This record gives sequence, C-alpha cells and structure tokens, in this order.
Amino acid sequence: MKALRLTARQALMEQRNFWRSPEYALFTFALPLFLLLLLGAANGGSYLPGHIRQIKVLVPSILAFGVIAAAYVNLGAKMAVLRHDGVLKRIRTTPLPAGAYVVGHIVSTVATTLAIAACMGVAGWLVFGTAPRLSGLFFLASGLVLGIVCFAALGLAVSSLIKSAESASPITNASYLPIAMISGIFDPTIGVPRWLSGAAAALPIKALAQVLEDAYTPAHHAFPGVDLAVLVGWAVAGAALATWRFRRQLA
Amino acid sequence: MSEQSAQMGPAVEVRGLSKVYGDRQVLRGVDFAVRRGEVFCLLGPNGAGKTTTVEILEGFRARTGGSVTVLGLDPATQPARLRERIGIVLQECGFPRQARVGELIALWRDYYPHPRPLGDLLEVTGLADDRNTPVRKLSGGQRRRLDFALALAGDPDLVFLDEPTTGFDPEARRKLWGAVENLRGLGKTIVLTTHYLDEAERLADQVAILLNGRIKIAGSTREVARLAALPSRISFAAPQALRANQLAPPDGVDLVVSGNTASCRTRAPAATLRILLDWAGRHQLGDLDELAVVSPSLEDAYLHHVKSTDGEPRA
Repeated sequence: MKALRLTARQALMEQRNFWRSPEYALFTFALPLFLLLLLGAANGGSYLPGHIRQIKVLVPSILAFGVIAAAYVNLGAKMAVLRHDGVLKRIRTTPLPAGAYVVGHIVSTVATTLAIAACMGVAGWLVFGTAPRLSGLFFLASGLVLGIVCFAALGLAVSSLIKSAESASPITNASYLPIAMISGIFDPTIGVPRWLSGAAAALPIKALAQVLEDAYTPAHHAFPGVDLAVLVGWAVAGAALATWRFRRQLA
Repeated sequence: MSEQSAQMGPAVEVRGLSKVYGDRQVLRGVDFAVRRGEVFCLLGPNGAGKTTTVEILEGFRARTGGSVTVLGLDPATQPARLRERIGIVLQECGFPRQARVGELIALWRDYYPHPRPLGDLLEVTGLADDRNTPVRKLSGGQRRRLDFALALAGDPDLVFLDEPTTGFDPEARRKLWGAVENLRGLGKTIVLTTHYLDEAERLADQVAILLNGRIKIAGSTREVARLAALPSRISFAAPQALRANQLAPPDGVDLVVSGNTASCRTRAPAATLRILLDWAGRHQLGDLDELAVVSPSLEDAYLHHVKSTDGEPRA
C-alpha cells in the first residue's frame, strides 16, 4: 500500500517536472502535432492504392510517432540525464524501493503519452475529419497500451546504455528516426528495397503504426496478430534488458 | 539482535572485515567501532579502501568476510531497514533539474517512516528563504545545503559524509564544519571520510587511519598524534645575543636559530621548557618572547604513519 502511494507520489512529481521543462513538453507535444498538421495538409487529400485517403494512414502513423516521442525518446533521455546527474545514485541512498521510483516514471509517461494521443486523435478528427472506426477501437486501445509499454521499456533499456547526459537526446532520437522513415511513418508511399521493408516489419515502429492504422482504415485487413506479437516481443525484450540493467544500477 | 540492544550498542561495529575484488584484496581484516553520538573520521590515502568500507557500511557493497553491524542491523541483509535510519551525503549527487527546493525536500520526507518536519529541515540548513527556488538556480553552497537537507529528511540516527568539503573555498568549509557540529549537537552519529587532516582534527572525536586494507591506528585525534611518538616543537623569538652567537644555548637542548626564531624539537616538552626558562632566567632574557609549544598535529602523525607503511608489501 505504501509502495503504491510512493509510486503515485513519484508519478505526480514527474508530471509536474515534465510540464515545467519547455524543451521536453514542446518537443514531445508540439512536434508530432505540427507534423500531423503539416503532412496532413500536404498529402492528406491524395489517395493510396486501394482507394484509401492518405490522411486515414497519416493520422495513425503520426500517432505512432507521438507514442514513440513521448514513451521512448522522452523517458529514455530523461532517465539517462537522471543517471548522469547522479539523481539515481541519490535515490539509492533512500529507502524508496527502486520499483516504486521506476514505475512512478512509467506511470507519468503513460499519462503524457495518452494525453498526446488524445490531442492528435482530436486534431485528426477536427482538422481532417478522420476518426477511428467504432469497430477499430479495440485495435486503437491495444495498440496504445502495447505501444506505450513496448516503447517505455525500450526507452528505459536504451537509457541504461547511454554514456553521457549530452548524448541522451541525440542517441534516443537517432536510434529510431531512420527506422521510422523506412517504416513509412512520415510518408506511407515511400519505396524501400524489399529486404529493408522486411527488416522494418520485424521492428516495433512499423508494427505499432500498422495496428493503429487498422483502427482507422476500413476493415480490409486480417487481424494484426503478427504486428501485436512483434510489439509484445519487443516489450518483453526491452523490459528484460531494462530490468537487468536497472537492478544493477538501482538496487 | 533485539531492538533494545540495537538501541544501546555502538552505532557501527566492524570486525575482521575483508573485501576481495577478483584477485585483489582491498580490505584485509578491518576492525573499528563508532560510539553513538560521536564524529568518527576514516582517513587514508587514495586506494586504501575508505570508499569500499563506507559503501559496505551503507549496504551498497557486499563484503567478502567479517561482521558488520550498523545501528544494530546487518547492512548486507537489511539494507532497506537500515536506509530508513541513515542519511548519506555523497559527493557530486545531482537533483532533478526542474524540481524546487521545498517540494524536493517534501518528496524526500515521504520516503521515510519518521521524517523531520519540513520547516525544521529548511531552518537548520538555512534554506527557508529558498523554498520555492528551482534547484538549477541554486549556488554551489546552497546545493550542498540541500544535500544535507535531503540526507536529514528521514531524521537519521547516523549520517555518512563522503569528503564533504572537497573543492570548497575556506569560508564554505567553515560553514560546513559548523553544520557538522550542529548535527553532533543534535545527537547524531557521524561517519566522515576526508582528505583534509585539519578537517578531521577539527571535527572528529575519533579517527582511524586505513592503510593497505587495514586500520593502521585508531583513537582520538590526540591519541593518534601521541601514538606516532613525534616530538613537540618549542619556539620563541631568538634574543639578540643568541643570534649574534654571543650566548651559548642551554646544554641538552638542540636549539636551532633560523632568522628571528629559535626552535627545538623534543619528546619531553615540559622538561625542555623548564631548562629553557631556567637558562633564560640566568641570562636575563625574561620569559622568552613569543614562546610557543606546538604538539604534533594529526597531519604530522598521519604522514608519519603513512610513510612508515610505504615499505610494507601491498599484495
């Protein structure tokens, strides 16, 4: 019970810190929203093969980008900075259980990510008149939940490998942006060699975008079992690596 | 161990503590005890094992052998319970960049079962006016005081200070010494590591010198200085006649005249003093101007002990 209260306390403190630092809040919140408006205005009206309006793919794609920015980049960079500032070392000197501290950060990240997802969903609906299908809400919910868990775990894992506070942001950003591009996040019509798109399909960015896409586009897909499995697989791998590293650094 | 005896026993008791990293033995049978309410200082050159010892006491590092009791608890098996009752001030520990002073201390208080009141913490650390200041706007000295406030948030019985004044200017050092004396006044037990011998001499009730993984010598600063059996130094303003070689120094005193000062080293300062004053009386030199007797300092003793161990094998 006490651990639960401490976790909530930590999560609230992290939320407050997040909104207080303009660089985090702006980058995490404004960038995906801006990209959505920009790309939506530029390409949203054109049609993709299968007579699907491109905006129906762009909204969920940029939604996936927002999840990654909030869960992976934001949490990963923040944890790396906290480690290099010696904050984690200081936390170790207190009786606060390491789990309560880390889960507090994750809870705060979930709140931030859901807030940005909601904002983008509303923007997609108000500006471009596109909303998820009612029958696609299951995909939307499972995509968001698995996506947040998966990218938060990967964020924690990568943060434990970052060697300095200065490289925290560059490394977290550089480690996913190229993959996001070849996964067609910013341009669903992008053409990449078959081996590259095969590799992208095994990575969680494409998988998350696909699951969210299934929530927006007409139900012509099969059940996205493979994509969900890819997300679960990366979530488990990320959580295992993060747990292993944090146990050594925080215990 | 029962709660009762845990309350009564020494704050820290270390017996036969050893630590091996790979094939390197860092600690080879360390013994010492820290009584409740005293300031204990662990001294030693870099690499002597100070940090390893303290980290074992704090429960951050496992020991290879020996027994360790801190506040009646074994740090290896009860680190969580121990951390509820100790405060640790580490070197170079940061704060979350966006936090403010008051809310950070308030958060820290929540980590502990019996925290000190927030106002009290702000008061004793002199941060009452900075309650709403963002931590990134604090000066170096204020950050150090916040370190103290966080370490004291749980109202600890025992406080560990790891080289607390490294990199401080003289004024900041004096202020921090005042803070440590303040802690002692509150009845806290303090375990201090430092490179500065004047700091140890000023603050510590007991010191222990760790060399090559063993306690070379331990006791009060006076005892440690005395056990080195170093001579005291007697000095006074050299009279004109002595400087001009018109006056012979007293027999049995190896007087050295350097500039305007005459001095000698002696293991029997009282006897030597008597001879000197007697000699001065006989030659109408009065009470000898600027007469001073300086006992060997902790620094002299420390350097003596460290030097006398240099020849010993390390492996």
